Amino acid sequence: MRRRTKTVGLSGLASLPLILALAAVSLPVPAWAGKEESPLLAPAGRSPGNFGIPQPGAVAPIVAQDQRRPGAPPPAPPRVAPITDPGAVPPPSPVLPREFIPIPDRWRLIEAIGVNERWWDPYNQNTLKGDRPLWDDWFINLSAISDTVYEPRRTPIPVGISTTRRANSVDLFGDTNQNVFVETVILSASLIKGDTAYRPPDYEFRITPVIQYNRAEVEERGVLFADPNQGTVRSDNMIAFQEGFIDYHLRNVSDRYDFDSIRIGIQPFSSDFRGFVFQDIQLGARLFGNRSNNLYQYNLAWFRRLEKDTNSGLNDIGQPLRKDDIYIANVYAQDFPVVGFTSQATYMYNVNDESEDFYYDKNFFLQRPATIGDQRPRKYDVHYLGLNGDGHFGRLNLTGSAYYAFGTDDHNQFSGIDKSDIRAYFAAIEPSIDFDWIRVRASALVASGDKDPFDNREEGFDAIFENPQFAGADTSYWIRQSIPFIGGGGVALSPRNGVLPSLRPSKEIGQSNFNNPGIRLLGFGTDMDVTPELRLSTNFNKLEFMDTSSLEFLRNQADIHHDIGYDLSVAAIYRPLFMQNIVFRLSGAVLVPSDGLRDLYETSRSQDLFYSVLANLILTY
Amino acid sequence: MTGNYVARRVLAVLLGLAGLTALSAAPARAQNLTVADVGVVISQAVTEATARGRLATIAVVDRVGNVLGVFRMTGAATTITVSSGRGVATGLEGAAIANTDTLLAIAKAVTGAYLSSAGNAFSTRVASQIVQEHFNVGEKQQPGGPLFGVQFSQLPCSDLNLQFPGVATRGPKRSPAGLSADTGGFPLYKNGRVVGGVGAISDGVYSLDLDIINRDVDPDEVIALAGTNGFDAPIDIRANRITAGGRTLRYSDATPADFRSNPSSAPAFPPAGGALVAVAGYANAAVIAGQVFGAAGSGYIPDPGGVFNNGRAFVLENAAGANRFPPTAGGDAATVVGGAANVLTAAEVNSILRHALDVALLARAQIRRPLGSYAQVTISVVDTNGLVLGLVRTPDAPVFGTDVSLQKGRTAVFFSRTTAGAEITALALAVDYIAQARSLIGPTAFADGIAYSARAIGNIARPYFPDGVDGQSVGPLSRPFQQWSPFSTGLQLDLVSTDIANHLTNPGNATNAAGCTGLAAVAAAGGSNRLANGIQIFAGGVPIYRNGVLVGGVGVSGDGIDQDDMIAALGLYHGGKGNGLSNARPAVRSDNLSPRGTRLRYVSCPFTPFLGITKAQNVCGVI
Repeated sequence: MRRRTKTVGLSGLASLPLILALAAVSLPVPAWAGKEESPLLAPAGRSPGNFGIPQPGAVAPIVAQDQRRPGAPPPAPPRVAPITDPGAVPPPSPVLPREFIPIPDRWRLIEAIGVNERWWDPYNQNTLKGDRPLWDDWFINLSAISDTVYEPRRTPIPVGISTTRRANSVDLFGDTNQNVFVETVILSASLIKGDTAYRPPDYEFRITPVIQYNRAEVEERGVLFADPNQGTVRSDNMIAFQEGFIDYHLRNVSDRYDFDSIRIGIQPFSSDFRGFVFQDIQLGARLFGNRSNNLYQYNLAWFRRLEKDTNSGLNDIGQPLRKDDIYIANVYAQDFPVVGFTSQATYMYNVNDESEDFYYDKNFFLQRPATIGDQRPRKYDVHYLGLNGDGHFGRLNLTGSAYYAFGTDDHNQFSGIDKSDIRAYFAAIEPSIDFDWIRVRASALVASGDKDPFDNREEGFDAIFENPQFAGADTSYWIRQSIPFIGGGGVALSPRNGVLPSLRPSKEIGQSNFNNPGIRLLGFGTDMDVTPELRLSTNFNKLEFMDTSSLEFLRNQADIHHDIGYDLSVAAIYRPLFMQNIVFRLSGAVLVPSDGLRDLYETSRSQDLFYSVLANLILTY
Repeated sequence: MTGNYVARRVLAVLLGLAGLTALSAAPARAQNLTVADVGVVISQAVTEATARGRLATIAVVDRVGNVLGVFRMTGAATTITVSSGRGVATGLEGAAIANTDTLLAIAKAVTGAYLSSAGNAFSTRVASQIVQEHFNVGEKQQPGGPLFGVQFSQLPCSDLNLQFPGVATRGPKRSPAGLSADTGGFPLYKNGRVVGGVGAISDGVYSLDLDIINRDVDPDEVIALAGTNGFDAPIDIRANRITAGGRTLRYSDATPADFRSNPSSAPAFPPAGGALVAVAGYANAAVIAGQVFGAAGSGYIPDPGGVFNNGRAFVLENAAGANRFPPTAGGDAATVVGGAANVLTAAEVNSILRHALDVALLARAQIRRPLGSYAQVTISVVDTNGLVLGLVRTPDAPVFGTDVSLQKGRTAVFFSRTTAGAEITALALAVDYIAQARSLIGPTAFADGIAYSARAIGNIARPYFPDGVDGQSVGPLSRPFQQWSPFSTGLQLDLVSTDIANHLTNPGNATNAAGCTGLAAVAAAGGSNRLANGIQIFAGGVPIYRNGVLVGGVGVSGDGIDQDDMIAALGLYHGGKGNGLSNARPAVRSDNLSPRGTRLRYVSCPFTPFLGITKAQNVCGVI
């Protein structure tokens, strides 16, 4: 398969899959698109064939020989001529049949010249990395990743309602300092039956267990746990299966190995190039393939979502499946409309049927239904129609996305009206141009907001499970941090690793909410390859709500301004050995509040400089 | 930004706005329920009851609690059983008293009228939602309802709420059983103004809604809702458009689609199938017109003497048409530490009330629409014996807050006294709440001069401790959850349960209404006792100190509880400056106590406390 490099957020590098989150953060979804192989886990390029070669020690004296196919009967000895000249040199002897030892593959050839594999060395030939078959044409590919995150930050935070950490906490907005430490070990094993480099593998079995320890510390009670007496520090761990699937190559449909495959199990998928609507690793079945020499690719997929573990955001296969299905059909057209640009059209259908019991997360916060509005349980059907593109027009790199969401919400928690219509839109575009070692980038995004909380239309755009690689992605404060909607219910103003102010209890566990203020973002940034080892990125985003009526309603507060603020961030990515196996990233962001944020939160104290620092070390085998 | 800076800024704005208040005062348009209106309401309700095959008792009251008419359908159940439906057997639970259908219908009507205003229309369903162990009920680990305990206000034994006969039409009138959480009570509106309330009871049970997730078809509610036809609350101010903590309040599960009759074509009054009935202590068997709220005779009038120097100051009216509670000096010189020198003066009381009023007029209302409205509350100041030293309110503050503000002020000062524990213990209640509190807090609790706010008392008067955290432990002033319900709250009810039971049994007996609680009468409190209208267990009252000496209490009620808290605490802060008066010193406040790791909260001020004028958020650090 052809693999494209995506410009992702900060950079392709920044989007390394393992920017793991912390508490209540999902395993960031790998940056590769669903239709592509994992750059980490796919078998490295290998050569086909399984012919034996003679062993060096068995080579006969250097004499002229007949050549023949192995195993073919030897030709009859030539007839011997009468000796006519006793002094003449005898003619050469025929090559006689003799034993030879075939060896299983040609990949071991280099051992003949003294190159032996080392199991711990992924950069040279390595059976464990899929460079040589285990047997026949079965390969194994193992990988291990250690992802370490330390994240000091500040967000608005309320003092506890029923009790507080400190005496004399007479005001609502508490101390803002927090920090998060997350260590994640991701192990992955793939067993692959493949043949040649020119066609996809016949089978792949993959399993990716993930082990995580996370620790969060805040300065107020009732934040990490619903029970205020459980304190201000929370440690948790989780063993999860982030991937577990079988991939079967159904057939080839052309001489150039256009194919149809099916993949069943827990697998990554991305709705589009930047993960705006659905980018997750979920349980599902996906039929995919390509046509016309890979010019066209398609996916037909069905996912039934796994619950996420509360504090790690990882898949929790120990819980019943969510009553939430996602049906997806998309097609990619490469070099359309111009060479170098890939276009995609997609249809997604999210059917949520979680209208029965209350669902609490591990920390005993109610996740479904959201503690918001009339709090009546609800379900919804939403269709997403999307057009996406990624590539370049000449020197101009361009990524764009547009979605229209429509459907029905069984119950509108704001208006109390049953059967409300969902009508929302989303668009994003990110042009960039490279000047030598500097990429200059602009970002614009708009997600519609609900205009009237009391009507029977829900016009705020919400995603299924966003993971936007856009406008700085998790380097940006707004996208990285979840800001609690203090005073407005048990929801977050914006989710972690998300750009939409969707007023959900969480992105991972809560339901989509189309009664939200929407957002528009205008950003500008650079990616600078200062040296081959060091990349610096900068981002400047201006953020505004589209319509604050939903916020005003939930807080019973008039005239909440649209301006959220300015999100300034810088990131450094350092690869000391020029390779992806050791990557260190340090980023810092500040959200400078404008009137809208001031209307919502205490922003005037010195401790109200809302910043986010992300220190991340990724070691990959 | 320092606290002092905020304080100065707020004060400057307060002063600046003082001149504007007269201009922006919006006098209520004169509205009241006429005799014909009352007949229409009753007729509509009765017609719907008939269509549903129900036999109901209907009551209509005006905004200040005058009973305008009680209609009992022939054969309606008259012995009503009090039950939360949870199998609780303590408190009022299980009481089945004859002829309480009329009294409880009145309580439901009063609740609709008293909780509502031109900015918010609340029903008894809202009351049910905000008095339970969790808000919302059913959501575990969440604190109790914001108005936890408000059902035990407007009590028939209240020394503030007046009685019939004897005080003509002036409110606020008592309710026979406090406020009601039983669905089937709604406010009545004319031209956007609350003019009264209607209550219906037909199911023989006085209860509440334990599950707000489902959608009830409750006959009482449908019948009462039919009664409101033509007098229905403006849609934009109904509870379901008003949020507390992001949750909307539940106005009604019933809708006009549930009607089996057409209320608009209900027959003329009187409808067939029943008759007006007299209710001893409340009404004759006749329909009367309601009072015009805010006009002479209603009990609520604009500040007649201008003592508060604020065009939006309203006060209670006495029999002579004057201010019933003009600012006066404390009467507790004999018992206050330091004697007469420390007693609150009339000027000081006035200053606290005025400044609290100013804070309210700038505060962002939490429970009113349109958005941008200021908080509407009642503010009471009491001395250490609970004697009312002054009361002022904004024009449209819900009536329930009149009594509740006094309850809160008295609760704060009472429990901050060093004799509080002994006084309660002396009552020998069925449960020794003080012993329970001392076991939790420490052996000197309620005898050591720690300052308790109404919020702090509320913290330990809930069935879960910490509030809302299921199953950890019990608030020492509460019944445990198995014995707890809004009809069995613990100390709060036990102080007044005899008063309520006696009254429901014999509502015409005036001696049953001589003041709540069995506490000893205090001559300096006008012969009443220190908690003569019962205690209140939600936020909005703080004790007043002069140089560390407890001298009184201030209570606020009518808007969100955080607003109530802020108005009390900041009103005292600003009004007491220069007089040596202040909130309790931080070191003696209840939030220094942390029994079982749970700090008792003193005051909690709201997010975005003020309207437009400032973006200040944390404004209460100054107190």
